[in-house]
Amino acid sequence: MRSSPASWSGELATRLRKPLAFLHKDFLSNASYKLAFIGQFFNIVFISLSYFFLARLFELSDSPHLERYGGDYFSFVLIGVACGSYLEIALRSFSQSIRDAQMLGTLEALLVTQTEIPTLILSASAYSFIVTSLRMFVFFLLGVLALGFQVEGANYFGALLMLGLTIVSFSSIGIISASFIMVFKRGDPFSWFFTNSSWLLGGVYFPISVLPDWLERVSYLLPITYSLEGMRLALLKGYSLGDLLPTALPLVVFALVMVPASLWIFQRAVVRAKADGTLTQY
Amino acid sequence: MNHAIETLDLGKRYPVPRRYRDLLLRPFSSERRTALEGVSLQLKKGELAGLLGRNGAGKTTLIKILCTLVLPSSGQAFVNGYDVVRDQRAARRSIGFVVSEERSFYWRLTGRQNLGFFATLNNLSGAERDTRIRKVIRLVGLEAHADRMFKDYSSGMKQRLAIARGLLTDPEILFLDEPTKSLDPLIAREVRDLIKGVLVSDQGHSAILATNNLKEAEDLFDHVTILDEGRVLASRPRSEMRALLSGGDNHRIRVRTARGELERLLPSLGVLGFEVEIADSVESGDRHELQITSTAEGLRISELIERMVGAGIEVESCVALEPTLDEIFTRIVERRTRDAA
Repeated sequence: MRSSPASWSGELATRLRKPLAFLHKDFLSNASYKLAFIGQFFNIVFISLSYFFLARLFELSDSPHLERYGGDYFSFVLIGVACGSYLEIALRSFSQSIRDAQMLGTLEALLVTQTEIPTLILSASAYSFIVTSLRMFVFFLLGVLALGFQVEGANYFGALLMLGLTIVSFSSIGIISASFIMVFKRGDPFSWFFTNSSWLLGGVYFPISVLPDWLERVSYLLPITYSLEGMRLALLKGYSLGDLLPTALPLVVFALVMVPASLWIFQRAVVRAKADGTLTQY
Repeated sequence: MNHAIETLDLGKRYPVPRRYRDLLLRPFSSERRTALEGVSLQLKKGELAGLLGRNGAGKTTLIKILCTLVLPSSGQAFVNGYDVVRDQRAARRSIGFVVSEERSFYWRLTGRQNLGFFATLNNLSGAERDTRIRKVIRLVGLEAHADRMFKDYSSGMKQRLAIARGLLTDPEILFLDEPTKSLDPLIAREVRDLIKGVLVSDQGHSAILATNNLKEAEDLFDHVTILDEGRVLASRPRSEMRALLSGGDNHRIRVRTARGELERLLPSLGVLGFEVEIADSVESGDRHELQITSTAEGLRISELIERMVGAGIEVESCVALEPTLDEIFTRIVERRTRDAA
């Protein structure tokens, strides 16, 4: 029997109810700290200006490494920093949401509700992703309106698709990181390794073509390399979906393997923490 | 099914954190500490059952196992007939857990907003959710404070809100872990009245409450389970707890004899296995009260009274004293400690 649009939307509303409850709760909590809430958007201005002036320095050297991306360093690095922010939030937010709940003392109360743990963790991270997206929107808006970020002929749909794949791929690593926190409480090597290697080798601040050959090959083992390449080619060169396929495919494979694996690892971590009686300890 | 909870030979052993030296010298060895051992219990529905024990007795571990927060190492546990390991979701649908931790709420949300959030996580929505929230707020008497931020609540109000949260799903069984801990005596009494009078008697919930407060246990429980070092020392209706004491009957005998004479005569009676003590606090002229405690089973107070009368002590009255739960608990735990030694 085919479901009607009404029942389909009803089902969607039911599924979204819990993430929305977390968003509402986190918004109320964060908005009550007014200065910090507004202040988080102000530092974007300073970051943007820093990269803008740095870019003016590179303009003079006319680097061949930037030709593939249209030659403008400011546009190049803006996308790099935005993507890097998503990487950080994906790696940190899941484990942070567990740790926050342990420290705040709310974890036990959450765990005895009729909501399964994966839903709790994913919903608890939703606010961080939305705030990061808002910050990145302001970041790009400022770049386009005031600092000369080039977006003529950009393939926005392709960029959004790459962004979606990026978030899903990075999140799987974040969920594995949360599993470490669930069992060991601190000292998560997975997050440390991925954050540092991605910022260094993934092409956030400079094209990976400037790396020695062997390091450039290593950089293709990191999902961020494909994310940045795809986002830049979609936004700065207007690549079509077909053109983006070779860049998107490794991310799709990575997500297909790592998402189920990360959820399995997380379930095992929860069972281990329940057996050790350390679920709510920090 | 008549049991709110049932456990069969339940055990829990926690791993002991290892020192750096052990990690190096014995990397594959693991040491475990027993928190519960051979716990078999049956607690009826509709009752207010108490888990009584000293700190570290295993009360919180038992409650956490029943609330699906900790996995048992051995044995089985059922809540409302659901296995807490195999049917965790179904078990959680039957329970409300009142977390005694003050920090278990979001401090910068109001009481109502906090309840709204937890209600959604418990699959309540729309009008049903709002109605239920209004009902539990009224039930715990927080109508006037529901829209204040949680951070501005007093300790008593925080505990009431915790109880309200536990009731959101109208659960059959409510678990309360030391709900009056850190409350002043007056507020603690209000919370106890709420639990006993409203939740159990009026609303018909079953409640399992852990405490180390004997006064609280005395006031509240229909059924008492005494835990010590992870084992059940006793589990029976409150009214039958006295039967656990072999000996230990208390009597108070009022006599009319000069103090000096009494002190001279009492040792010569040979007190037949009774401990006899003059209760000085009630001394008035020649009237004295004697506190009599039997030290073994089967001793007859009438024999002692006969001897006293025979020795010339004028006995005016004799009253049997019911042992308090405090006395029962102390003696049971002391006996176990003695046996273990």
